[in-house]
Amino acid sequence: MTLHKNWKGITLFMLPVGVMYFTFFIYPLGYVFVLSTMSWSGFGPMEFVGLHNFRRLLGMTSFQFGLRNNLIWALSLGFIQVGLAAVVAMILARKPPFWRFLRTVYFLPTVISQVAIAMLWYTIYRENFGLLNTILRNMGLDQLAINWLGTFTTALPAVIAQQLFYIGYFMIIILAGVMSIPKSLYESAEIDGATVLQQEFYITIPMVRDIVVVAMTLAMAFGIRHFEATFLLTGGGPAHRTTTLGILLHRNLHAANYGRGNAIAAVLIVVGALIITVVRRLLSTRSAVEDAKQ
Amino acid sequence: MARKALVLVIVFALSVPVVGIFAGGAAEEDGIVLQFPSFWVGQDSKAEPMEQLIGEFNAMYEGEIRVQVEPTPDTDGYRQTINTRLAAGDLPDIFIFQPDPTTMRYYEAEGVLMDFADELHGGWGDRFQESQMNAATVDGMVKSIPYEIGVTPIWYNTRLFEEAGIDEFPTTFEEFWEATDALKDAGITPTSQMTGGANAWTSMLWYSHIIGSIGGPDAWDRPLGHPQYEQAAEILLRLYSDGNTTGDAVGGDADVSGSHYLAERTAIFSNGPWYIGRVAGDAPQVHEATQLAPAPAVEGGEHGHQVTFALSNLAAAHTDDPARRKAVVEFMEWMTKPEHVAMITEEAGSLFAIEYEIDPDVDPLLSEFVRVQNEAPFTLTDMERAFPVAVIQEFGGAIEMMVVGGASPAEFVEILKDAAED
Repeated sequence: MTLHKNWKGITLFMLPVGVMYFTFFIYPLGYVFVLSTMSWSGFGPMEFVGLHNFRRLLGMTSFQFGLRNNLIWALSLGFIQVGLAAVVAMILARKPPFWRFLRTVYFLPTVISQVAIAMLWYTIYRENFGLLNTILRNMGLDQLAINWLGTFTTALPAVIAQQLFYIGYFMIIILAGVMSIPKSLYESAEIDGATVLQQEFYITIPMVRDIVVVAMTLAMAFGIRHFEATFLLTGGGPAHRTTTLGILLHRNLHAANYGRGNAIAAVLIVVGALIITVVRRLLSTRSAVEDAKQ
Repeated sequence: MARKALVLVIVFALSVPVVGIFAGGAAEEDGIVLQFPSFWVGQDSKAEPMEQLIGEFNAMYEGEIRVQVEPTPDTDGYRQTINTRLAAGDLPDIFIFQPDPTTMRYYEAEGVLMDFADELHGGWGDRFQESQMNAATVDGMVKSIPYEIGVTPIWYNTRLFEEAGIDEFPTTFEEFWEATDALKDAGITPTSQMTGGANAWTSMLWYSHIIGSIGGPDAWDRPLGHPQYEQAAEILLRLYSDGNTTGDAVGGDADVSGSHYLAERTAIFSNGPWYIGRVAGDAPQVHEATQLAPAPAVEGGEHGHQVTFALSNLAAAHTDDPARRKAVVEFMEWMTKPEHVAMITEEAGSLFAIEYEIDPDVDPLLSEFVRVQNEAPFTLTDMERAFPVAVIQEFGGAIEMMVVGGASPAEFVEILKDAAED
């Protein structure tokens, strides 16, 4: 192996970023894994406990629910939210009336705090005066007016559902991709007698496939690290049915159980990386452009 | 250059005696100066009465003792500073001591905190509530004076009780279930409960009251395997069953629990005196109709006790100077006089670990707090202060497992035991 002729310059330019990356990412990441094998309350010496924290986690119902819910969150955001975003992006790309206005409307919630949105949905889901139950009662469907966030079967779907509607972030990414597809492809297809649906299936989707995969990767990453809305809406209840690893991590750190907290963080990192890698492997095939070249 | 140096030498030479004169004069004029960093300043509700009390003390001991308050309005910062200074053994003369497992460890350290045991045995100690004094005593040492406390009795709406044909608050659970049936017949949900929030506050208080009735003042000393916890869980489960609470109690937080009581949808609630302002402001008719009571007793159990907890004690740095020690004790005695704490209660709504009366015209509900506190045969702390954080974090979920998940009271206790192993 020979060194690049400008290796000194390259090293010099990379050094500040490298130092910062090591200091603020690699080192803390390594420390998470080290702490996950310790018992430590934040005071006094740490005690090495090996894999005890992980074994204990595996036996905890809350951890089992947390892990399951994180997977559900990742898949829901990755497939349902991004799916909805892709559909809306394809519709808006056809420039229906008021499409610019609608684009803004869909994107607007992205700039609103998650806390505000969660509080809004809390008032919608409340059993006594919530908007949802008020509508149901006014429609004579009193038996359906339940404690949405306090019932085992409805709590998790209710929390996930409130997030799925906010598609603006992914819609704008996919819309940019759809808008960049040459118009000539659609014109040719139209001349050949392809319907709108066929054009979307055979032109749009293949052309923006890689963008959609990127959007899905991002959405799943958001799902894996999900915390705010659940914390604010249910706190992880009822009886851990909506809990996530993020919430368990917070609870353990709050209880000064730093070893266990870091074990959860380590699981979160490994599982997150694993899911995203697997899904990307499954979905990322050669791009349409590469296909066309051949 | 030489001229400049000469000027500096002259200025320095002149300034030294001048500073000495003023400093010496001040010390002589004030006598013993006691530094008292305090967060009862600024916007704190106790700021004004505290300033008045300390001002009166300084005026009474003019030339002998002067308490100098160092305003520290940031309570979190205050706690951290005191904890650091406790660790370093470098304490202010007088300070607010927040009793918790960390700070209480310093009772054992020699020469750090002043021990008031001797002075308290001389009659001064009689003015304190026995349970609070016991809580502040470790191995016969009283290294912090019990002061501000929280009391969390059962609140009930007398108007809703009248509507349901109930004359007075039940004293036993047998009577209590009859009362809840009567309330339900009148279309009123009996109790406010909650499983959400950080500690399922309202239900946690109920559980603490019930445990007190079963186990008496030392109930929390018993480990989680003791049958009292399961027995109390059975009662808690019933409070959540048969329409005895609102449907949104599962998952509900303190806002849910409180708002039902404020809107008169529920007739029974539990909270501390800090909630008086909210009731008086948001629901004056509820404030007017509210009275306080001890929780009902279980069969053959205790009755009349209250769930209380120490919020702030007063403490002082250890000193070997008898004059300084006497000055500190004088100040502590002054601050804990029944008429003085009554004045703070009337002005700020805080309650104290001292037996005292207040003017009932100030706020009848506040007066009720003082009454139930004085009448309690014993007090015990709330569950949150009796168990590790991990158990409290699991408490709300364990109730949910009983109420929604079909877990038995025994399984409820198992969940808590499992959390306690952390």
